[in-house]
This record gives sequence, C-alpha cells and structure tokens, in this order.
Amino acid sequence: MLYGLHKRRVYSLCLRMTGNTAEAEDLTQEAFLQLYRKIATFRGESAFSTWLHRLAVNVVLMHLRKKGLPEVSLDEALEPQQEDGPKKDIGARDNVLAGSIDRVNLERAIESLPPGYRIIFVLHDIEGYEHNEIAEMMGCSIGNSKSQLHKARMKLRDLLKISRAEKAVRR
Amino acid sequence: MTCAEFQRVLPYIIDTGGNAEQEQHLRECAVCSDLVQDLRYIADQAKLLVPMEDPSPRVWEGLQKSLEREGLVKAAPARRPLLGAPAHGWQWAVAVAALVILAIASFLLHRPEAAPLSMATGSQSQPTATDQDDQQVLQAVATLPPDVRSTYEQGLKDVNAYISDARRSVDQDPNDPDAREFLMQAYEQKAMLYQMATHSGE
Repeated sequence: MLYGLHKRRVYSLCLRMTGNTAEAEDLTQEAFLQLYRKIATFRGESAFSTWLHRLAVNVVLMHLRKKGLPEVSLDEALEPQQEDGPKKDIGARDNVLAGSIDRVNLERAIESLPPGYRIIFVLHDIEGYEHNEIAEMMGCSIGNSKSQLHKARMKLRDLLKISRAEKAVRR
Repeated sequence: MTCAEFQRVLPYIIDTGGNAEQEQHLRECAVCSDLVQDLRYIADQAKLLVPMEDPSPRVWEGLQKSLEREGLVKAAPARRPLLGAPAHGWQWAVAVAALVILAIASFLLHRPEAAPLSMATGSQSQPTATDQDDQQVLQAVATLPPDVRSTYEQGLKDVNAYISDARRSVDQDPNDPDAREFLMQAYEQKAMLYQMATHSGE
C-alpha cells in the first residue's frame, strides 16, 4: 500500500535528479528499503509523505556524492561567467514566455540541464525545498544555491525559447 | 542602475524582492522586466509538474526480495488476479472504467496523425472518463483514513490537470511522439489510480 501510493513521486524525484532510468529505479528501491527499515523511527513531526520525500532526497544525494557530485564553486558565485552577462537585447524585445510553454517541453528542457543545475532546480522549484535546506543537503552556501538556481532557470529560458521558435518554424 | 548591475544581484533578490533602486530599475527597464517575468513563470510552471512515470515492476520485485531477506516482511501469499471476483458491483464498475480509460487512450493515440484530439476549439478539453467515474473512485475511498483519502482526491485533480495539459500538447503538435507518449502515460496514471482505489476498498 505504501509503495503503491508513493512510488510514482519517489521515482519521479529520483529520475529528475539523476536523469538516468536505471539509476532512478535502483535509488527508488533503496529509498523504500530504507523506509521500511526506519519506519519505526517516524514520530509524526511532519507529514509522512514529507518524511519519505526527505529520505528519498538523501538517498539520491548520497549516491551522487559517491559518484562525485558536481562541485559548486564558491568563486563561481562571486564572479559571474561571461555567459551570465547582462541580457540587454539590442533591437526588438523577445516575446515573454508566459502562457507559451507546456509541461511536455518543460520536462524535456529540465532533462537537458547540466546535472548540477538540474539537481538544484528540481529540489527548489519542483520539490519546494528552501535554499537553506538545499545548502545543508548539498554542503554549499545559500548564495551558491541561489546562484545555481538562477543559472538553471536562465538555461531553461534559453532552451524553451529555442523550442518555441522551432515549433513556430514547423507550423 | 544598469542592467548589468541589476542582473548581477538578480539571483539573490528574485524570490524575495530588491531594494528601492533595484525595484525602480525593474519598473523602468523592459528587458530586465521581461527576464524576471520569464524566470518567475518557469518557477511557477515547475511547481505544477506532477510525478509522471512509474518505476518498472522489477523495483517492487527487488524490494520485496530484500524485505523478505531482511525479515522486515513475511513472504507474500499468491496474489489473486488484479480484477478477481469483486465483492461489490461498484468495484467492478470502477475496474471497467480503468480499462475503458486505457482503451480510449490507445484509440486516441493511434488515430490518424492529423486529427486533433480537442472536441472544442480553445477549451481545455477534459478526459473522456466521466466525472461520474471520478466520483465512484472517491466513494470507493470514502471510508479510508483522511490523509489517504486526500491523497486520492489530490491525485485525481493532478492527473486530470495532467491529462488536459498533455492533450493540449498533442493538439498543438499531433506529430510529436513525446507529447503522445505523455498523454498515454497520463491516462495510464489515471487508470492505475482507479485500480488502486478498487483494491483499497477491499
């Protein structure tokens, strides 16, 4: 029953964070195994789903650390790279994205993100963790978490605009 | 304040708001304003993403074996067929509805590519599974604990929204195989929700 109710959310989390189906399945299995081992320690301080969710996130992060989690450089946060220069478009403004993207394209774009950006984006914007929580989980500063999230969103913006332009050409 | 200065601090103020100078630049600069609007829109859309895919059956099989090996659960008895003789007529109806949903999804996805799925132009078309079927599911779980019941209620809302969204994607681009795959997954998700509700009432 527990597995049936929660497997989809746990698996989706693992898949979005790793970008790999086989890894995500292994991690889902590990997360539920830990759930069954630790269920007796659940004291009800939070909703059960929240507790399970946090457990799954920790399982994924531990796995990624063993693999060599993409390092978040402190220097990177303080000195913006060239690609992060001001987006001052000369000439006509681009149409804003509002109302023009759908979940299919957004999921595709998220899959395309570099792993470091994708992890933070998934944790913050999809799963709802705060920057202080992410910083603690990832072993980075809150400033780094915000910087990486911003870069993830900027990259998604570019990918979604390209996707929208390609669709317009196909029509 | 220049755009470069504004965009340098944007990561740290976008979710919390900036000081007076930064807010003024945002009001006066169309480029930075569009940028912020886009980034916030992406964040808002991300919050609406629902879990999409199920793990393969091997995950459950592996988990069961591990749990039995560690003595955390007893070996499971032989399972009766998924649609085994239900005790109540409504359970049969809900199970049939699940199969009907899958059949409809399969039909819709294998129709000629050019045919759009929407029945009405410009409207968010609902899945062909009726509200009555959704109501039957909710009745099936009415006697369960409140947190489990609300999980089903929220699950139905999420999956119906997902089906609408996926259908819109297919309508916009009927030749997109990913969009059609997503729509099929959305219907499968709803069918599984129906099946779980059927068995939860036993």
